[in-house]
Amino acid sequence: MSLVTDSPVHSSSSDDFAALLDAELEVGSSGSSPDEEDVEADGDNNNDNNDDDDDDDDDLDSQRNKRCKTEKLEDLEESQGSTSQGLIEDKIVIHAELSLKKDICTHPGSFGQMCILCGQRLDDESGVTFGYIHKGLRLGNDEIVRLRSTDMKNLLRHKKLYLVLDLDHTLLNSTQLMHLTPDEEYLKGQSDSLQDVSRGSLFMLDFMHMMTKLRPFVRTFLKEASEMFEMYIYTMGDRPYALEMAKLLDPRREYFSDRVISRDDGTQKHQKGLDVVLGQESAVVILDDTENAWMKHKDNLILMERYHYFASSCHQFGYKCKSLSQLKSDESEPDGALASVLKALRQIHHMFFDELDCNLASRDVRQVLKTVREEVLKGCKIVFSHVFPTNFPAESHPLWKMAEQLGATCSTETDLSVTHVVSTDAGTEKSRWAVKEKKFLVHPRWIEATNYLWQKQPEENFPVSQGKNQ
Amino acid sequence: MFFHIVLERNMQLHPRHFGRNLRENLVSKLMKDVEGTCSGRHGFVVAITGIENVGKGLIRDGTGFVTFPVKYQCVVFRPFKGEVLEAVVTMVNKMGFFAEAGPVQIFVSNHLIPDDMEFQSGDMPNYTTSDGSIQKDSEVRLKIIGTRVDATEFCIGTIKDDFLGVINDPTTA
Repeated sequence: MSLVTDSPVHSSSSDDFAALLDAELEVGSSGSSPDEEDVEADGDNNNDNNDDDDDDDDDLDSQRNKRCKTEKLEDLEESQGSTSQGLIEDKIVIHAELSLKKDICTHPGSFGQMCILCGQRLDDESGVTFGYIHKGLRLGNDEIVRLRSTDMKNLLRHKKLYLVLDLDHTLLNSTQLMHLTPDEEYLKGQSDSLQDVSRGSLFMLDFMHMMTKLRPFVRTFLKEASEMFEMYIYTMGDRPYALEMAKLLDPRREYFSDRVISRDDGTQKHQKGLDVVLGQESAVVILDDTENAWMKHKDNLILMERYHYFASSCHQFGYKCKSLSQLKSDESEPDGALASVLKALRQIHHMFFDELDCNLASRDVRQVLKTVREEVLKGCKIVFSHVFPTNFPAESHPLWKMAEQLGATCSTETDLSVTHVVSTDAGTEKSRWAVKEKKFLVHPRWIEATNYLWQKQPEENFPVSQGKNQ
Repeated sequence: MFFHIVLERNMQLHPRHFGRNLRENLVSKLMKDVEGTCSGRHGFVVAITGIENVGKGLIRDGTGFVTFPVKYQCVVFRPFKGEVLEAVVTMVNKMGFFAEAGPVQIFVSNHLIPDDMEFQSGDMPNYTTSDGSIQKDSEVRLKIIGTRVDATEFCIGTIKDDFLGVINDPTTA
């Protein structure tokens, strides 16, 4: 039908009827002759207004087309005039229903660029790509919100929260084979078999030219944490590396299954985000050694002490001391960072599910994190000496903020309520005052260790030495 | 759906293959080039079943290669919108499940899974109802509701219609 090809509506075969009805309705309501006059009047106006020659021609042509179309519509209308008015109304109703059904598809997501609900081809770039779940999968923002809330209900029923784990320096330490120092060569002979991964902790991955050491206690940690949390891996390594490490940590695919996010899946360069995690932000706890990777989610973050096993790792961060592999030793299994963090996680989980008395949906794990942290140094009043650079606003120093987060109160002046003086030089006035008044004199590392281990550390382990000026 | 069709292709052969085994070389090169490929028009070429005709070879100017037009019969697989087929489930998660029917990957979103099927997470995530459960390696009958015209690797499916759903539950054997 030539009528259809002239239709301004972009047509697929099912749209044609709708377009036809649309056009019919428009013509039918205003009557036949007035239309023709209107069209001609428009044509005249256009011709008057456009003085350019090329426009004139175009307008004349389009006007001619319009007139032809109007005439054809009139013919059609006349031929259909014999049918009852009721039949046309029926068609209008059907048309309305059809268009309503078609408009209803909200395209919640796409797989291979086709809508997952109606199968239509979608080329838009809205939403977030979930390539780590399956290649080609993309979900729209509304769908992500919907999935997050249904999943939340499911998890809360099973009394689980979400835990996002970093790999490097948190759960393991990797190094390239070419970066091994001479006194680390012995490790090549000691690596564990790749056939039975569940028993080993040091693995040589020839095909990736690297060696990986799992952090002590990691297997117990994963087993116990999986009962309280649904776990994700989120690393800044690339996808093949992430999948390989997941195989080492989780050979039976029971802890992470497809929840392995690599830097290829993140939406922003050099930043990690919770937008690719299908869980409510109020129920996610993050375990990472790098604070700067989580700029938008610092409230969910538990900072981990870095695990430096290989010399290359120490070197990377500028430490000149010997690494654990060079010293032929390792982190303590029952007292190490992972064990302490596990205790803290248990406390957080218990507080979230058993102690908060408001309704489940409005609980926020970030609030719990803050509360648990504030218990650690509760009751301590800290004064800093010889720690901040002169003229530096003390309240903005990270150590001050860390101490406050841990529940201590900080002050710039000494008085009798002070309990700890944190100093790098035992000869300063405040340090000598502390010794005289029998207050604790500790090195700033006491605060950092307390932060990592979630427990007030014994003050005698952090003595302060005399400075050079004394 | 599978089709058994005749296709034609111009094969270029290097002079080192000329000689007694010219035809065998031509046929093996054809198989290597074509089997496993996918085109939008015909779908996936699953296997070549026979050679119908090998035309006269034309020597190309400038190089010593010779071009033979070859007509061959082959089995192709192409998914169609509206087609009902059986697939094996490869992955189940809260968004739906992924299934495989030969070379084609099909995704059935949870919007197109009947409401009485509930997702259960765990180490073997599944969708369960009283009739059976859909988990990894179960067979399902599904209907294709979306394919791509240019590349047929991905499809969208549904099991929300009559007679669709799990066929064979691997847990009840």
